Amino acid sequence: MDLEKLRKTAAEIVSREDVKYLIGWRQGTFGYRAAPCFVEDAAGAAELTFSPLCSANLATYLTLAEKLPVPRGKEPDSRKTALLVKGCDSRAVVQLLVEKGVKREELVIIGCPCPGMVDRALLAEVIPEESAPADLKWSGGGFVLVKNGLETALPRDRVLAEQCRLCRHPNPVVSDILLGEPVQPWEVGPDGGVDEIEAKDVADRWDYWEEQFSRCLRCYACRNACPLCYCKDCILDRLNPTWINRAVNFSENTAYHLARAFHLAGRCIECGACERACPAHIPLGKLNRKLAREVRDQYGFEPGLDANAEPFQAAFKPDDPEEFIL
Amino acid sequence: MSEQFEPNIVAFLCNWCSYAGADLAGTSRVQYPANINVIRVMCSGRVNPLYVMNALQQGADGVLVSGCHPGDCHYMEGNFYARRRLGLLKELLEFAGVDPRRFHMSWVSASEGHKWKEVVEKTVEDARAAGPFDQFRRRQIDW
Amino acid sequence: MLLKKEKWSAFTQALAAGRLWAPVKQDGAARFAPVAAGETPDLDYDNTTVPAKTLVFPQTETLYRYRLGQTAMELPGPGEEAVLLGVRPCDARAMEMVEKLFRWDVDDPYYLKRRALTTVVGLACKEPGANCFCPSVGGGPAGAEGMDLLMVDLGDAYLLETVSGKGEALLEGVKDLLEAAGPDAAAHKEQVVREAAGKIRRGVDPAGVPEGMPGLWEHPLWGQNAAACLGCGTCTYLCPTCHCFDIQDEVEGFDARRCRMWDSCMFAEYTLHTSGHNPRPTRRERTRNRINHKYNYFVQKFGVIACVGCGRCVNLCPVNIDIIEILRQAKEAL
Repeated sequence: MDLEKLRKTAAEIVSREDVKYLIGWRQGTFGYRAAPCFVEDAAGAAELTFSPLCSANLATYLTLAEKLPVPRGKEPDSRKTALLVKGCDSRAVVQLLVEKGVKREELVIIGCPCPGMVDRALLAEVIPEESAPADLKWSGGGFVLVKNGLETALPRDRVLAEQCRLCRHPNPVVSDILLGEPVQPWEVGPDGGVDEIEAKDVADRWDYWEEQFSRCLRCYACRNACPLCYCKDCILDRLNPTWINRAVNFSENTAYHLARAFHLAGRCIECGACERACPAHIPLGKLNRKLAREVRDQYGFEPGLDANAEPFQAAFKPDDPEEFIL
Repeated sequence: MSEQFEPNIVAFLCNWCSYAGADLAGTSRVQYPANINVIRVMCSGRVNPLYVMNALQQGADGVLVSGCHPGDCHYMEGNFYARRRLGLLKELLEFAGVDPRRFHMSWVSASEGHKWKEVVEKTVEDARAAGPFDQFRRRQIDW
Repeated sequence: MLLKKEKWSAFTQALAAGRLWAPVKQDGAARFAPVAAGETPDLDYDNTTVPAKTLVFPQTETLYRYRLGQTAMELPGPGEEAVLLGVRPCDARAMEMVEKLFRWDVDDPYYLKRRALTTVVGLACKEPGANCFCPSVGGGPAGAEGMDLLMVDLGDAYLLETVSGKGEALLEGVKDLLEAAGPDAAAHKEQVVREAAGKIRRGVDPAGVPEGMPGLWEHPLWGQNAAACLGCGTCTYLCPTCHCFDIQDEVEGFDARRCRMWDSCMFAEYTLHTSGHNPRPTRRERTRNRINHKYNYFVQKFGVIACVGCGRCVNLCPVNIDIIEILRQAKEAL
């Protein structure tokens, strides 16, 4: 991707009267990090970047903005939000449009075709993370790490993030402006993580998840990082009725994670934001991908592709599968 | 006589069909296992998947959701939504390691007292075979 | 005293006779877990994801149990003694800081009881992490504050330095395994610590920040830094000095318990009033509060910065909100 073009386009867009700010990525403050950033003026666009570290899903911020009450006599700010999207971000935007979580006319979408992001943990296994920010680029079929002026080539298979390996839509499905050429979607292999659990018998699956969920801190990073978890009144914040106790133990953690996964059934666009955000490294993506796979295979539905689709769980077909019914 | 494990089953029945079907089974003197604890809901489409999870957390060994046959819903389409959601929930629970014999869904109409008996027997037998489900119970954690 | 590394296994066995907690690695991350007899803890770790505070201030703690409709309540028992092995200096120092708070207006019996029953065996750092900045906030790779015993890895042996009576008592129990440290041990330690300190790359001098914070109340830096914040509790739950808790009653049937669990000032509901008003309505105010609590309020009240520079919030923030960077900006703005 041509960064100059990205910055120039972004500067033009944030200079527009009807645009409030632009959400993009900037280089992080250390190691293998890129961070979401909010650009409010043309000068700020200079820090924008797009690299294999920009895995954060920016669509999250569309529903995260906390609006203060508008003072009497003042008009609410009705300017648009501009954001950069990869394939997965754009699918989240489409799903938000389906659910009427955002309005299309309030968005300026700048598409960035995405050749795949790296997994920071895998990258750190190959080359340990250091305090100084490192730069990463796409090159040929793989990645190149630039550190102190030295370039190290990294094979794509070694460091590509799991959700990107399984990505079927690397190009933005919706955009007003598309930067660069669309990338060629790659061959998607089997989902080893989900298959591995399906191969276990049911008691072993429970043991596997018990080990994972017991580590959960209930910091709700997975919920908050998810672009599609945006209920103003979340069941987790409710005390009456208390669906899930505040106590942090395996039973409550399991209930939380199953509820979270279920609430995303037919909505999850498999960006992996939940799993990346988890400080306890719980493989949450597997739960979501399992449900997404069932929705795809059994119901023939894939969320986040068509803004005119019906929300999956608020719709039905008379011939939905019912073999499981007694 | 060895003591047999008696499972605790929570059943969510829709007001218009399955509850009436269970009622018919009762008035027709059809014998079925007493392990079922019935919770009447207005429609199977009203059964929030969290209800199922909560029942399991609070000590149920099995959960049954029963509604009208497709096309017979009092609210036209409630059971279609239930079918889609709970079908997925079943997949999710199984993936998470909950024995698939612990969660069932059925269609029982108001005239199917005998089918109700079969459904209950199947649900209870399955839950009995799966054994007590203590792993998911709410815990009174230690000090 | 010196503990030769070949005696390490025997040493931990002796400790594991009681309750012993030490870091174990699982899925690439270390965490404190009970060590059973026969297991040998491995101290080759950077730092645990969850700080050692969780062992003296558990995430969920039952305060008392009761039955609905009855007035009697059951209080926790006297507790058990435990040894925490391999606590990093930052975590140990944090326990000491949090103790100041739990001793402040009212003595908190739960925290103080666990603290009194726990013997902290610290481990000086040899390989600081990418975001460690303890020297900036008054700590160091071999700081012994909050510990009972400090271990320094000298290559083929651990140098054990007692810090408190509890540490001495612990060493007394295993004295057969120890040998007296030679005259050059102190110099060797000095060198190890200096090398470790030299590897710390990040930091900021917070001088002037606590006094200057009130003047920065409306500074745009808060909004800029909080813009990307997701409002999750990672930074606070994983902070060794964060100590906020919430109290809830949990009832099952007629059995009930009152428990306290960690709470986070980064959650919107933390300050939400019943009326619906929220005095910290956006993440800007919440982020400002988090930094102010550590670098301003706590300093005013207890004379010490409530940040030990462990770098966890920097490492694990999903969106790279970096307290070191915020402090740097705050210093610039002073």
